[in-house]
Amino acid sequence: MIDFKHSMAAHCESGTLTNLLNHKGLEISEPLVFGISSGIFFGYMKTPMREFPTIFSRIRPGKILDNFSKNTGVVFLKKKYSDPDKAEKELDSLLEQNIPVGLQVDFFFMDFFPPWHRVHINVHYIVVIGKEGDHYIVSDAYHPTIARLHRDSLRKGRFARGSMAPKGLMFYPVEIPEQIPMEKGIRQGMKKTVFNMLKIPMPFLGVKGIRRFGDKISDWPAYAKNEEQLAHNIFMITTMLEDQGTGGAGFRYIYASFLEETATFLKDPVFKEYAKRMMEIGDDWRNISLFASRIAKQRDLGKDKLKELGSLIHSNADQEFSFFSDLRKSF
Amino acid sequence: MKEKEIKIDYKEQQLILYAEKEDDSIGPILSGSYMAKNHLADFHQIWGSLEKELFAKIVNREISPIVRFKELEELTTAELASRTGIPKRRVRRHLSHRHFMKARVEELQKYADVFNIPVANLFQVVSTKQDGTWNMGYNEKAAKKMALTISQELTENPLLVITNPEKNKA
Repeated sequence: MIDFKHSMAAHCESGTLTNLLNHKGLEISEPLVFGISSGIFFGYMKTPMREFPTIFSRIRPGKILDNFSKNTGVVFLKKKYSDPDKAEKELDSLLEQNIPVGLQVDFFFMDFFPPWHRVHINVHYIVVIGKEGDHYIVSDAYHPTIARLHRDSLRKGRFARGSMAPKGLMFYPVEIPEQIPMEKGIRQGMKKTVFNMLKIPMPFLGVKGIRRFGDKISDWPAYAKNEEQLAHNIFMITTMLEDQGTGGAGFRYIYASFLEETATFLKDPVFKEYAKRMMEIGDDWRNISLFASRIAKQRDLGKDKLKELGSLIHSNADQEFSFFSDLRKSF
Repeated sequence: MKEKEIKIDYKEQQLILYAEKEDDSIGPILSGSYMAKNHLADFHQIWGSLEKELFAKIVNREISPIVRFKELEELTTAELASRTGIPKRRVRRHLSHRHFMKARVEELQKYADVFNIPVANLFQVVSTKQDGTWNMGYNEKAAKKMALTISQELTENPLLVITNPEKNKA
């Protein structure tokens, strides 16, 4: 097994990347990785792949890696496979060379998590750090300890089909520049974030996406077969905002931490103020999720309650609009 | 939010959150999952009643067993079609008892692979130890109280599964 420092993280993709970079010798925090790669976002979508609309508050999976590489000059090797045997063979060969490898997998097959926690999501990221017999040794940023995963489960996870299928994707950093243009990277990351939140020309993305979420939440009963299913999906708002993965409040808190680090890097205390404002926005997302879980638990899911939830979401849209408009003026 | 306001004591599912520390800096803290601590019972209740409802429908031949796993794993017909590689129209037909009876074994194997179950479990409902990993509604504490649990062991042949009854230690 490779001597790899396992650390939990708030988000699997930025956490995986941070752990791989730290192992390669670049000391960097998860918030800095998240901010430089413009990780924060918002979207509200209804796709045929899900019965209920989905909300997400991070950029498209895989983009954290791409944006970080683009903004810092760190070179990653990325490879997809169509042949699972070849994918496994090459993974084993890298492990033999003591190279920890990042993988994209379907979270459902990560059976070291309890069953109620696991769902079919093809965009989970892990680091494989060794192999013992038929088991791989896995550093999963959501798991408190290093875990073991049977090779069959890993193979199923890497080659699950469906939306955003991993196609065996593996990645690891191969080259880290001696001098990373951190200030430039931070500014570019922020610029892209502001564009994504305010200017992206799609009605369901950025601040417009938050507003759409607020408008459409009262229509959710129409998607439900019964009250139980509606309650479950309202609970899911809390899961998405509170727990990891698509965390709304959580991601706002990471971004606040990024802004705090930015104040030090750019020697500009104004970013400390922005960090405080972002924390407050995160707190408001948290209040939204607590409200959602309360009405779901009490099955108090009438039109009025959902409208009340919608107005809380709208109020947060206003705050985020004001925040990112101000942030835009700072560079 | 301040560290002490946000931190949740729940060891069964832990996660990292960023919070304001006592010295006013913002940093990572290890917390328990709010959802798991406060709403796991609700989750089991919702899933338990969904399972019961689906089971009754299978018994009455209103739906096929594919619906049971599809619903419990929260997959839409489109997503299931995409994951199995079976055309959506055909998946939709397999959701009914009548057309499920005409499904090919090869197709059933594809469904079972996505659901992560042995094919045999499309034709039987057994409360197994492995349900802990396959079944979204599985409750570990309740299973431990049972006098007998059944485990299933997969073989090299994907259609063959060995089922072992096991006496639980008191």
